[in-house]
Amino acid sequence: MDSSAKASPAPASAYAETRKLGTRMMPYVALLRHDLRSLWQSWLVRLWLGATALLTFMLVGANWAQFRDGTLIASLLFPYLVFPWFFVVVVLGVSPVSGSRSETLADGILSRPVSRCEYLLATWSARVVLVLGIYLIVTVPSIILVMLAKRPVPGDTVTIYGIVTALGVVGLVLTFLVSLGFLMGTLLRKPLLAVVVLVFIWYPIGLILSVFSLEEFSPISLSRAISTQLRQSWREPGANPQGKADAEDINGVTDQMSHFFSVLSGVQPRPKAANPDFFEGGKFEDFSLLRVTLGYGLPTLAAVFLASLCFYWRDL
Amino acid sequence: MEPAIRTEHLTKIYGQRLIAVNDMNLDVPRGSIFGLLGPNGAGKTTTLRLLLGLQRPTAGRAEVFGRLCGPNAVAVRSMIGYLPTNPQLPGNLRPIEYLDLLGKLSRLPGEIRKPRISALLRAVGLLGATGQRIQTFSTGMCTRLGIAASLVADPPLLLWDEPTAGLDPSARRFTLDLIRELGKTKTVVVATHILGDIDQICDHLGVMHEGRMIFTGSMQDVKQRLRRNDFTLELDGAAEDIRHLAQQANNVEGVEAVADTGPALLVRIADGHSRSRALADVLKLIDASRLSLQDVHSGQNATENAYLQLLQEDEAHGFQR
Repeated sequence: MDSSAKASPAPASAYAETRKLGTRMMPYVALLRHDLRSLWQSWLVRLWLGATALLTFMLVGANWAQFRDGTLIASLLFPYLVFPWFFVVVVLGVSPVSGSRSETLADGILSRPVSRCEYLLATWSARVVLVLGIYLIVTVPSIILVMLAKRPVPGDTVTIYGIVTALGVVGLVLTFLVSLGFLMGTLLRKPLLAVVVLVFIWYPIGLILSVFSLEEFSPISLSRAISTQLRQSWREPGANPQGKADAEDINGVTDQMSHFFSVLSGVQPRPKAANPDFFEGGKFEDFSLLRVTLGYGLPTLAAVFLASLCFYWRDL
Repeated sequence: MEPAIRTEHLTKIYGQRLIAVNDMNLDVPRGSIFGLLGPNGAGKTTTLRLLLGLQRPTAGRAEVFGRLCGPNAVAVRSMIGYLPTNPQLPGNLRPIEYLDLLGKLSRLPGEIRKPRISALLRAVGLLGATGQRIQTFSTGMCTRLGIAASLVADPPLLLWDEPTAGLDPSARRFTLDLIRELGKTKTVVVATHILGDIDQICDHLGVMHEGRMIFTGSMQDVKQRLRRNDFTLELDGAAEDIRHLAQQANNVEGVEAVADTGPALLVRIADGHSRSRALADVLKLIDASRLSLQDVHSGQNATENAYLQLLQEDEAHGFQR
């Protein structure tokens, strides 16, 4: 047999001819779907979904007759920004490219015609999609319920725009946390070490930023600023102390009128809404959506870029 | 015609501590079944991983079909089917799902992918296990699925690392037969430390020792290198008769016979004498005796001897290196 005639490298030319976008994106989409499926089958994700649904239910139930709309929604978002879901999100971000088993499975994929960038982006986006999916699946129905139900608390000035932007801000923070976990997992290669390092670095940094009211960077400050953002309107996206004062005046008048008519009619007055200091600090009038987006968006991009760079240069 | 694989001064040093591959120059001819032989830790797996771009060389370069290997050399990997040692597969998937994923990673359209997957599952004998999750598979089944996985994209070059590790005799036979069959249309590199496998399937050989490629050539070159004029004749009969036969055989010109290795006679033929004539004379003596001939081995195991001799030479010439 003529050995030179056989074993011609046909697949290389076939690869070069894959100019269609669908064909080019096939590995990315396949990896994304595979990772989403694997994640969905993991006990951590299922446990998290159950726990976050339970916690949301408990928060809504416990504060149903106490918190006004904005405060209640802010309290629902708090676990995603600070504790305990910060921890879960970081663990989910850390795992894909670290740990011996993950690396062995990655070997099996990266020995195929897949670039490291494709692999990394697919695994990262699978985690982002999953985290955001679970967060929205639980919070959106709860917020709709809170907004539409007749609750025994005074009305609030929460706007659709405020809800959407608040959800977006929390989603951005979650994306950032996944990316940060992703970067640490890629750098340190040991999932447990990466999580410990993140917890011990991130919380002190968050507290320091909170002390200086840098809501654009601190999740703790952000969680306090969310109730302010929820009351922002589309036409006045910037802080408007005068507008806020007007809303408070209207609320005060409404409360007084309600009390007056209750006394006249002999009906029990509506209970006065609790006003917890943490969520209603009132210090976030200068809250800027643009700064928050840049404050978390740019570090997110930087984390993904650095993780890609690190993954590209390292040996598997 | 450029070779299927070419390395030039390929070197890999881990963390300034361990030299895994040391200044390796290698040409693997197209269409060959190339055995990469070496003891554990010789650098065989590292060499394969460098070719795949899973690791970066510290120095030197590696090419596959004239294309430079590296982490982002997707076109190179599209020409390679890799089977790692004891492949770790995603246990949550079923075989069809796994092969379908790999087919998509190779950008194979559905009309090519689907029939090929079923043909491969049939070929490796896993058609009856398509309903099971991979985590329930035995070692042999995982290896067979790994083999199918390496063939999904129908690559012209196969890199199989210890393909018979942990297999029972029938699975080992199946794998070796498959390599022989695939070698008719592809270039196959088999990294192993099992000499028997190399002996049966390979037509070219590279011997690695402590990261160095200490020999490359055809199997004929290897055997020529250690051409041994000795034969072991396995006999059935009394020990006294075998000793008597040895005495008679020692009288044949150019023959030295030794009968101290159980029911066998070791016959050494001196240089300058016809091996066939000397052996025929000894066989005539057996025919005339009360012994019966069971088997004849040439040079015990030529490949094993050649391999061991190469390793000894390499160690003896350590300073000269």
